[in-house]
Amino acid sequence: MNYLVLIIALVFLFSIQTTFLRIIFPGNVVPDLILIVAVYSGIHLKKNRGVWLAALVGFFQDCLSGSLLGVNFLSKGLVGLFFCVIKDKIIVQGIIPIGFFMFATSLVDGMIYFMTMTSLLEGQIKVNYLFSSIILFGVCNAVIAPFLFYMFDKARQWLHRQFPTQVFESI
Amino acid sequence: MPYRRPQSKYFISILAGILMFSLVLMTVNARYDKVNLFFESIVVWFVSPVQSLFTTATNSITDVFDHYFFLVRTSSENDRLLLELDRLSKKNNELLERNKLLERSANLTEFIGEDERPFVVAKVIGYDATQWSKVIFINRGTDHKVEKNLSVVTDAGVVGHVIHASLKSSKVLLITDSRSAVDSLFQETRKSGITVGIGEDICEMKFVPISAQVSVGDKVVSSGLGGVFPKGLMVGTVVDIVKQDHELFQDIRVATSVDLSNVEEVVVLLSGKEGG
Repeated sequence: MNYLVLIIALVFLFSIQTTFLRIIFPGNVVPDLILIVAVYSGIHLKKNRGVWLAALVGFFQDCLSGSLLGVNFLSKGLVGLFFCVIKDKIIVQGIIPIGFFMFATSLVDGMIYFMTMTSLLEGQIKVNYLFSSIILFGVCNAVIAPFLFYMFDKARQWLHRQFPTQVFESI
Repeated sequence: MPYRRPQSKYFISILAGILMFSLVLMTVNARYDKVNLFFESIVVWFVSPVQSLFTTATNSITDVFDHYFFLVRTSSENDRLLLELDRLSKKNNELLERNKLLERSANLTEFIGEDERPFVVAKVIGYDATQWSKVIFINRGTDHKVEKNLSVVTDAGVVGHVIHASLKSSKVLLITDSRSAVDSLFQETRKSGITVGIGEDICEMKFVPISAQVSVGDKVVSSGLGGVFPKGLMVGTVVDIVKQDHELFQDIRVATSVDLSNVEEVVVLLSGKEGG
């Protein structure tokens, strides 16, 4: 049952990412809900489940985007792993740490994408456009992430009450 | 001797696993680009009905706001006039192209006859899951004879080409994506170049010699070379030109003829003679 809920939630999340968000953010910068989920799962899921969920959503994102397959698996997997490792060592809760880490991971995510695009696929990307869009992308994610973290917390608590399993359990 | 927790080894093995698996995926994807990967189709198959539902709901809501709350009649009238303008622009473009071709060659009629292709109308149901790639999802797939490398257009001009076709939906790479390239020529001077995407809302036309006469406002159409886009489709309009004496080619920026951020329906030009 818990996996079914997870699959429905992911389908819902990807549908929002690929449809609804473009209406709200019509410009070039759109927040990456999948990246926020990767960071959230890395921080909040028990043991090392966060790494696997982050890598899985990255893989799904690869399938639903035009980029090279494996790019988002790599970036989201690394993000999940990073937060799984550091969550016990430094403060990763609260609006400012969440905003800061989201901004930093957005930069990493954007850089991994552009590095693979320019090196493996020889895409033509202007450097000034690259930096301005990555920074805006980071700011956008950093602003939205605390609110989404709050929503995910509430959803996870509700799910845990409904389906008291290990998957939705807090750290 | 420092104590090293077994957990560290575990994390290192996970890191190695992630790196290996992503490398394998990227290599397979880059090496066997022509092959539709099975799991990609499965994920698209799962998500596309929900995407379609979301798009319909979102369009209904925005339609209510646009046409009833904001501007009761003006918006509808404007939409109708814009469609009419698109139709007339297309007609004008067709006539210009026909005239040019008649001037150059007596084989024109035969060429146009050959170029009449079956098509399928598709609805845009979603956008790329990342903000970096310029990709849209359409609600037509292999069920409707849509396949890889077919061109996707609207009344206003070129949109992109199909990069992946599932059973009931397809991915279309827009001409603004940094991996897109359309062999093009200027409608007036017939000088050729390649219109490439740069990841922004605008394209660049490459390999236009410094000596070629180009001015802002010149129309760019597809040349028909490359095997994806038929000849004479509108690609865009020149909006900026930079000429540097020491360079061999001009830097030309081209605004796409189609508003790619707001495209709702597209036409996929099929390869066979059947369909429609």
